[in-house]
Amino acid sequence: MPSKPAQIHLHPVAKTVAAAPGTPLADVLFPEGVEFPCGGRGRCRGCRVRVLAGTMEPGEAEQRLLSEKEIADGWRLACRHQVEGNVSLAIAQWESPILADNSTYAFERVEGLGVAVDIGTTTVVAQLVDLRNGSVLAVRAELNRQARHGSDLMSRIGASVTDAGGSALTGAIRRQVARMIGELMRAVVERDLPPVRGVVLVGNTAMHHLFGGLDAEPLSRYPFEPERSDALRWTASELRWTGLPEACPVTFLPCIGGFVGSDVLAGLLAVGFDHRTSPAAFLDLGTNGEIVAGNGDRILCASTAAGPAFEGARISMGMRAATGAITAVHQLNGKWECRVLGGGEARGICGSGLVSAVATGLDLGTILASGRLARGDTWMIQEPVSLHQCDVRELQLAKGAVAAGIELLLSALEIPCSEIETAFLAGAFGNYVSLESALRIGLFPFAGERVTPAGNTALLGAKIALHAPDPVALCNAFRKRITHVSLHADPDFQEAYVSAMRFPDPARVGA
Amino acid sequence: MNQNIPEKWKSLYDAVLEGNAAAATAAVDAAIEANESPQTLVDEYMIPAMDDVGEKFEQNEYFVPELLISARAMKAALTKIQPLLTASGSQPKGRVALGTVKGDLHDIGKNLVAAMLEGGGFEVIDLGVDVDPDKFIDTARASKVDIIAMSALLTTTMPSMKTTIEALKAAGVRDGLKIMIGGAPITQEFADEIGADAYGDNASTAVSIARSLVAS
Ligand code: B1M
Repeated sequence: MPSKPAQIHLHPVAKTVAAAPGTPLADVLFPEGVEFPCGGRGRCRGCRVRVLAGTMEPGEAEQRLLSEKEIADGWRLACRHQVEGNVSLAIAQWESPILADNSTYAFERVEGLGVAVDIGTTTVVAQLVDLRNGSVLAVRAELNRQARHGSDLMSRIGASVTDAGGSALTGAIRRQVARMIGELMRAVVERDLPPVRGVVLVGNTAMHHLFGGLDAEPLSRYPFEPERSDALRWTASELRWTGLPEACPVTFLPCIGGFVGSDVLAGLLAVGFDHRTSPAAFLDLGTNGEIVAGNGDRILCASTAAGPAFEGARISMGMRAATGAITAVHQLNGKWECRVLGGGEARGICGSGLVSAVATGLDLGTILASGRLARGDTWMIQEPVSLHQCDVRELQLAKGAVAAGIELLLSALEIPCSEIETAFLAGAFGNYVSLESALRIGLFPFAGERVTPAGNTALLGAKIALHAPDPVALCNAFRKRITHVSLHADPDFQEAYVSAMRFPDPARVGA
Repeated sequence: MNQNIPEKWKSLYDAVLEGNAAAATAAVDAAIEANESPQTLVDEYMIPAMDDVGEKFEQNEYFVPELLISARAMKAALTKIQPLLTASGSQPKGRVALGTVKGDLHDIGKNLVAAMLEGGGFEVIDLGVDVDPDKFIDTARASKVDIIAMSALLTTTMPSMKTTIEALKAAGVRDGLKIMIGGAPITQEFADEIGADAYGDNASTAVSIARSLVAS
């Protein structure tokens, strides 16, 4: 006898979901926007929900990761529970602004429409473009549905090699993209539009493998050599994607090397890196920091693991850039003032807020150059949001890894950083973080006026590729000129990393 | 914190705590000149200093850079003292074979653990990174090792710890050994699950755990 479904009331979204007892709560809550950063293995606090009515007994993971007060207040880790009886749960609603691309670009007029898709580890953005005039007809942006199996790419790869994970992840992302493309087509009101002549997908190497249904196991361990890094091609009918012409080519652009994928390759095309003759750099900072530097003849790239601090994860009161997030902390006559997204009460702090808070703390002397909080172990920045010593440490780990990666790449290229004429900052974090704060904490060594936030370059590059007679040929010609460097093989990493963990003295900022 | 460091060579204790290698070696020179016993210098000044460094690290007062410079000062002083210790027949607190597991190249945490263990009086055989289970087995066989210590930073290489423990069992060397594991994604739960003897949360507790492992 199947037991009666239980009712799960969700606040503040005022929604009720029915689920059979024994169903993992994660399966019920993921579609409602609750995220599972560690893949639902009880290793982080990301999926915490608050029990408002009904009971859910706290277990070992809760004792370990939540404070007594939090447990007493009803906080639980959703990933550790199954549906038992009726409950009311408060879930945090994420409404992260996902970065799309509205920039104008130089293009060759082509008959037809195109779809550009940027498959990020965290977010997926798709645009329908009229290739005759480069205009964007519709946009869709969502969180990557694979996130149910972990928020960072290693957890994703780990999930893909265990159980039937691989096909589940491949199915999830292919279905999501197909649905998003369907929505894009339906969103267009104009009649008499030409048919879609191509779909171009970009993403890092793990997304390339997981979308392509390739074995991601080689990406799970040293030496991290992908099974394939070339372009993957299908037709719409092969993927059983309806709504597109059957023969419409669907192409996942080729990766550069290691974990550095076609999102970076497309990004480089978008900022014209392929035509540059003077020294330039390109940074895309997220959980993984991708770094490219070149002097015209030689282009080197590397990926440096930063950790999730820039995305506000693993920070005591960290959150995504959603309503209630502190996004900036400004100095004001020896005191400080916070900017809260949405203007209401502060609920937490996001990645760009963290960088800004630390920069201001350094100026005010509440944080020392060593990263030590000057007074006690917490700094109350705005009730009820405080910054803890361990949060500053987490940021030091992240920014040190980026700064060290840049330093080593430039030294391999034998270019002093003062000679870099332009440093492009791609991606959401690069777009939202205050440049001044980033320089203050020593995130990168470039002079402020040489840093250019470049937006969602991956998506722009995908659009540029759609205009090309042969997108793959365009990418292959360029990617041959780029050499991937493995930072983990560099004996100087530790030294560079450890010294980059400190914050610069005020006099040296941006110098 | 250690309140009762004897005044006599407190400069040595201070130099290690503050990470001043030059001052640490100078203090060692002066003490040896004055015929102080090398074992006393290690036991009463240097090990307590590293213990306090570890405590400051645990309290988040010190971070990776501070811990590393203190470890360097400790190492500089130890290099001076080691020949004298060996000559006097002094024994380390225990011998630890340490490495980052197969598939993983993250070694900064492991290096800190090595430095703290050395600072705590242990002899450390550092097997490096991407260490094959066979290498752990060979080391356990060839040298009289008390503890096998494994570090992993990737969720995807955590299973290598289990594989290594199974290989040690299959090779028949598991019984005479204690196994300690650690690294950012590791938990006590995981250590229990794979049959490790202990889990170290950070480089400082790794030392107190190693001490209790050799005592038991
Ligand atoms: C035996 O007993 C014990 C007891 C205690 C023990 C112990 C053993 N071992 C450690 N401890 C404990 O004591 C130490 C001190 O208290 C602590 O050690 P930790 O090692 O935890 O702490 C160190 C002192 C400082 N921490 C670190 O050194 C790690 C910091 C972060 C930023 C990091 C770094 C620096 C690097 N990385 Co990597 N890296 C990340 C890290 C993210 C983060 N913010 O933490 C992490 C671990 N990396 C990750 C990844 C994915 C990768 N990394 C890679 C590469 C690198 C660098 C080369 C850039 C560099 C490593 C340099 C080196 N020589 O070690 C790649 C793989 C390399 C490889 N072959 O293993 C690559 C695959 C990324 C890539 N794009 O290539 C992620 C793993 C995600 C996961 N789910 O597994 C990651 C969490 C970052 C992220 N993206 O979120 C304790 O854990």
